[in-house]
Amino acid sequence: MASTDKPGGDPEYRTSSTPAPAGVDYFKFDVILRFLLFAASLVAVVVIVTANQTEVIRVPQPVPWPAKFRYSPAFVYFVAALSVTGLYSIITTLASLFASNKPALKTKLLLYFILWDALILGIIASATGTAGGVAYLGLKGNRHVVGWNKICHVYDKFCRHVGASIAVALFGSVVTVLLIWLSAYSIHSRVPK
Amino acid sequence: MEGQSKGSFNVMEGSEGKGREFVVEKSASSIVGTCDLVLRILAFLLTLVAAVVIGTDKQTAIVPIKLVDSMPTLYVPVAAKWHYLSAFVYYVGANAIACAYAILSLLLTLANRRKGKGTMETLITVLDTVMVALLFSGNGAAMAVGLLGLQGNSHVHWNKVCNEFGKFCDQVAASLFISLLGSIAFLLLLIVPPVLRLKQTT
Repeated sequence: MASTDKPGGDPEYRTSSTPAPAGVDYFKFDVILRFLLFAASLVAVVVIVTANQTEVIRVPQPVPWPAKFRYSPAFVYFVAALSVTGLYSIITTLASLFASNKPALKTKLLLYFILWDALILGIIASATGTAGGVAYLGLKGNRHVVGWNKICHVYDKFCRHVGASIAVALFGSVVTVLLIWLSAYSIHSRVPK
Repeated sequence: MEGQSKGSFNVMEGSEGKGREFVVEKSASSIVGTCDLVLRILAFLLTLVAAVVIGTDKQTAIVPIKLVDSMPTLYVPVAAKWHYLSAFVYYVGANAIACAYAILSLLLTLANRRKGKGTMETLITVLDTVMVALLFSGNGAAMAVGLLGLQGNSHVHWNKVCNEFGKFCDQVAASLFISLLGSIAFLLLLIVPPVLRLKQTT
């Protein structure tokens, strides 16, 4: 079993120390989690892009005033970051599926997975925080700063969409954390102690 | 790095035996240990500085307010404190938690080096990922609110604040930059030790 996990491994190393552990194999969970991440990113992007609401504002003139996601740079960043995450997750789901019965490739993939998963965690967590911060301001307003009033009592449908999208992105962050835990556990089990 | 580890393993091909191999393995794993230590100290310092820089941020400015055209303009002193904004409170909380965790995990990894238990390492990696997520989300929130203060948002009539409170905004920007470096240190903590360990065994 050790020979399949160490392609081109040093035979002297194998005989002079304890045989390297085969390592746990949780690639089934890996594929499922990556697909969940893809689904979460897709849903979050679609829900926030379709958040459109127009209300008539009385002051100073009765004009229809729209609310769209692209009116806030925070939400634009959110959409961009989640799109990148969606693209990444579909690529890695396919890579993981492709490597499901090639043990030598799996170990090499683990290295890349933990690197890119960590970067994607940074991206999706920051996107969730960014959109969450601005959405909280829209929900509660800020009484210390003059003029930063809440808008969600007027734009209720818009706020519901944005809130749901952020909740799904939060779920996506949790899935990414689980993916990193899985890769880290697999790597720790492959390292002989 | 790969060439270095291959070279160190070739030493064992001789008839030296277990003694030489143990010394070689220890030097390879001590690189990972030193890396880990340095990154944790860096992360601790950076998050501490970021939290302190924004925690001491306060500015009072005289703002002219014109209520009615007939009355003269009132000059009101308005204070800007970091805890007036919930996003900054979350950001300071995230940095404080990350700072405390960095010093705790530093002590734990130092204590764990003698015993070499695998479960402690996995637990520390588990908590590291949570810290990365927390820090990055805090950074994002503070950056979004800071940008709002800098540019305002004409669509929602949220006017910008940084033209009045320039020093406040500058300090927030400096703190954000330092916290970003701290987040990258935590990110490297997640990536570098497992990659180095896996590369030295394959």
